[in-house]
This record gives sequence, structure tokens and C-alpha cells, in this order.
Amino acid sequence: MATAIRGIELSKSFQHFQVLQSVSIEIASGECYALFGPNGAGKTTLLRIFATLHRPSAGRFEIMGFDGNRERAKIRAAIFLIGHGSYLYDDLSVKENIQFAIGIRGWNPTDLEIKKALDQVGIGRFSKLRSRYLSAGMKKRLSIAKALLVRPKVLIMDEAYAALDELGVAMVNEFIRNFTKEGGTVLMSSHDRAKTAEVAHRVGVLNRSVLNEMSVEEMSAADAIF
Amino acid sequence: MQFFSVIRWIAWKDLLSEYRNRENISSMFFFAINVILIFSFSFSLDPETIKEIMPGIIWVAFGFTAIIGLGKSFLVEVNNDCMEYFQMLPIPKGAIYLGKFLGNFLFMLSVEIVLFPLFVLFFNLDILDQFLKLLLISTVATIGLSALGTLFSALTVQIRAREVMFPILLLPLSVPIFIGAVEATRGILSGDAFALYRHWIELLVVFDVIFVVVSFWIFEFILDY
Repeated sequence: MATAIRGIELSKSFQHFQVLQSVSIEIASGECYALFGPNGAGKTTLLRIFATLHRPSAGRFEIMGFDGNRERAKIRAAIFLIGHGSYLYDDLSVKENIQFAIGIRGWNPTDLEIKKALDQVGIGRFSKLRSRYLSAGMKKRLSIAKALLVRPKVLIMDEAYAALDELGVAMVNEFIRNFTKEGGTVLMSSHDRAKTAEVAHRVGVLNRSVLNEMSVEEMSAADAIF
Repeated sequence: MQFFSVIRWIAWKDLLSEYRNRENISSMFFFAINVILIFSFSFSLDPETIKEIMPGIIWVAFGFTAIIGLGKSFLVEVNNDCMEYFQMLPIPKGAIYLGKFLGNFLFMLSVEIVLFPLFVLFFNLDILDQFLKLLLISTVATIGLSALGTLFSALTVQIRAREVMFPILLLPLSVPIFIGAVEATRGILSGDAFALYRHWIELLVVFDVIFVVVSFWIFEFILDY
């Protein structure tokens, strides 16, 4: 399998605080890699470096073979981030938000395609509702609907299950399974070991700025991983 | 083609949001009405005085209304981390600037067009036959104001003292726009021949080009730090 994400000796500091220290990671295409770690361990920072939102203080990274410093536009065309922000406009409807978010990337999905994506994540009946009235879980589902339409090569999910109900978690896992089966790569952070074990192929635990890798079985069997 | 499509999507989103929430437009409109009312009660309304002071009153009202409207232009992008989404898009960031600029320009110009009848009403102005010329000056001056306002709104939106910093940055650089707009408006209201104030309009056009091009170029660095 080709390498989709490669981080080499990545370090990141904010002011004098070292968040990541020489973190190296390699994720193959079609793989789902889950990051665990306590709050403040650096999971979000690492994901944001791969999403081109932060520049590493040291080290380098590649996404789909594109260099993280020199080929940021190509990386951005290949990735999609489902992060803490909803990236929604309160005064636009659910459908209008999707039209805008996808349209600005240069593709205008048809009404049928938008409806299909919204139905798939379970918020089809809210398509005309202004997004200011959506709950956090519905906003998360809307982000996944966007990812369904964008069809990125690499999907980065920060706290993949946050704000979702049980049906939402099952829907996300179904989505990840199908996405990786079709060759897409997922890099996610999570705090839920049981739910993550259903879809992850490999696991990394970030603690005190350092990454330790383990198998899903090892993670599931461990009493505590951090 | 994607470049122009981005501009269209951003302007569409901004105008639709503003049409629905009317937060900016109502504060701008009521501020401008206040300015017009205060000036109309402060000066005698004889035609000669009006001709002298009217250009200043018009551009004080438009200028400060612009500060209120343009200063909030990028707030909507910060609320749900939408700036982050822009940052991650595989598109030239200048297109985002031009989209925001276009939205701001159309929004500002529509407010100015609504305000013109109020000037006529409160100051007893006879400018109906000059309306197209006044619209031309408004358009040219508003391009420059919107270009600078959009840039400085993006620059100050993430800082705590943005309400203070935005006018501090915008007002000194907009001085040439205000001078050109006031002088050209004075020429129209005095009934001068076009050739006598044409150079002020040309000056405005030159500043428009400079402000739009420089802002377009700088925006990439503001967004993709």
C-alpha cells in the first residue's frame, strides 16, 4: 500500500511549551489510524499540522506524496478536516451551507446529490433549516455530509465521536469503513476506545509530546492507555 | 473559471446573510440618519451654505457608516471558525478577498443609494438631474473604501481591540478617497463643468486600483500565515 500520510520528526512549540517532540508517523492509503491521549497531549496540534493549519517548528510531513511546506495547495485539494469548528454560517440553511462549502471548492453538487448526502447522515428533513438552530450533533453530521460530497483522499477527524448520539456514532463508523474500503485514509483522534476499535487499523497514543504506537488489540486489552 | 466562481460564492453568501439578519444594515442606516438629522438642524438651509457644506456632510455620513459596516465584515467568518475553512481551501486566497470586497461594495453602495433621497429631503437639495454623476462618484469612492475596509477588517478581526484598531488603520489611508470624493461632489453640486472636477475622479480611480491590487496581494499572507 502507498503511504498517504508521513510525518518525520515533527515538533511543535507554542511560546515555550513543547506540544510535540520528534513525532514520526506513517499511515498507508486505505488505513484508519486513531490517535489517543489525554487532554493537552498534542492530538489536535498534530492533526492541524497535517491539515495545513499549523506549521511544524521542526520536522517535515507529506500527504499523498506532496511536501507539507512547498505543496500546501495540492495537500489542501486532497484532504478534508472535520474539526472542532462547524464552519457553518448561521443565517444560511443546511442546504445553502453545503452548496457554499462545496461550491467554493469548484464543484456544484446537484440537489439530488445534496439530498442523498444529507439523508445518509440523517438530517435530510432539516435541509431548509437555518444552521443557527442545529444542535452540536447535527452540525457534526452536516460536516460528515460535506465530506461525503467532497470525497477527499485523506479525511482528518478531530474527536470523531464528539457530540454524536449512538446512531450518529454508528453512522460515522459505517462511513469510515466504506471510506477506507474505497481506498481513502482516515486519521482521527478519539477518547472512546470501544467505538474506535470497531474501525481503526492502528492506534497511536500521544502522551507528554511523544507518540507510542500499538495495535488495536493491544489498546483494547490494556487497562489504561494513558 | 474557479477563481470567479469563488468570488461569486463569497459575495452571494455575504449578501444573503446580511439580507436575512439585517444586523449591519440597520445599525449603518440609523447611524446615517442620525448624522443627517444632526447636520440638518445645525446649519441654516440657504442654498449657498448648503452647496458649501453638503459635500462634507454627505461624505462624513458615508465614511462613518462605512466604518460601522466594513469593520464587522469578517466577524461572521470567525464565529464558527470559517476562516479556518477558507485557509484549508485549495484555491487562491485572493479570490476570497475579492468575493468579500464585492459583497461589501454592493452592500455599501446600496446603503448610499437609499441615503441619497434623505439628503434631498432634509437639505432641500435639487440634485435629481445630477443623480447619475453623484452615483458615479459614490461608486468610485466606495470601491476604494470597500477595498481598504475589507483588508483591515480581515487584519483586525482576530484581535481584541478590533473596534479601536479598525478605524485607526482605515481612516488615515482613506484620506485621499475622502478628499477626491468631497471635491468631485462639490463640483457637481456647484454645477461646474465635468472637465473642472474630472481630475478628482481620475485620482479616485488611481487609488481604487492601488488599494484593490495591494490588498489582493497582501490578503494571501493574512489568511495563510
